[in-house]
Amino acid sequence: MARLNDDAQWIILMGFLVSFSFFFLAMVINQSTVVGQTTAESVIEFPKNDIRDVRGVIISSVNVTNPDVVRSDITVISLSRKNAVVDYSPPYIVSNHTVITIHYNNGVTEFNENWTSL
Amino acid sequence: MKNSDGQLYTIEGFAAALIMIATAYLVVNATSVYTAGDTHISDMQLEALGMDALKVMDIPVSKDEHSMIREIIEATPPSGGNNLAFGTNFSYLINNKTGQNSDHIQFSATYTCRNSDISTASIPLSFSRNLSGGEHAVRVTKWVVVNKTASALNPFCGSTTKEDRAILVEVLMWRD
Repeated sequence: MARLNDDAQWIILMGFLVSFSFFFLAMVINQSTVVGQTTAESVIEFPKNDIRDVRGVIISSVNVTNPDVVRSDITVISLSRKNAVVDYSPPYIVSNHTVITIHYNNGVTEFNENWTSL
Repeated sequence: MKNSDGQLYTIEGFAAALIMIATAYLVVNATSVYTAGDTHISDMQLEALGMDALKVMDIPVSKDEHSMIREIIEATPPSGGNNLAFGTNFSYLINNKTGQNSDHIQFSATYTCRNSDISTASIPLSFSRNLSGGEHAVRVTKWVVVNKTASALNPFCGSTTKEDRAILVEVLMWRD
């Protein structure tokens, strides 16, 4: 290395700097791909279909002949298979409309409704 | 006698090449990989498909008839089994595609009912393939009110008489 001309060392240094800055920018882009994981998880966890379904069966079972048995079915199976506490009132009449109070809570999402018939 | 004047330039060339390759690797990897933020898309598509199929099967054709899924469950023995009618209809609904080729989504269906106390029992209903445990399955469920024949000798979920019972149909679905 004795007769090596080292006048342009700063050019090499700049080259390294630019290379490393690109490298770290690429690292940032790489890390950005995990953004959205918690969003995805919360989208999956949100029990939209569960609420819709249990609401539907509660309303459609208004006219069963054995409401206490069906109520126990819905609350017990909801707790054991869906990890959700479901409770609803027996249908009562308010100014010629049937009303049911529905409660749903799975620990993350809570849903309460005063359903009124048309 | 060898000349070693250019050693620094050679080393610089190697270093630059390595940095460029590493950068290109990271950039290409970032845009092409199936990331954690995308997993819900295919899962939710499968879930929506299964919910729709179960909903279709739970809608009666007319006011005086019962839904298909209710009639299937009322016709199955209390111990369960692999019901052909459920399998055929559900498989048709979830695997139907435009064109001649059908999709290949597999499923395993059970229904859960409450015994006379607060315990529950899961009864196999239908399956297209046995679960091996390695599937990435999603679960779809549907509440159904059934009125199944029962007697003291042949009880249904603790009921010894024919009465309305709410049961939960649960289907595991996965792509194979």
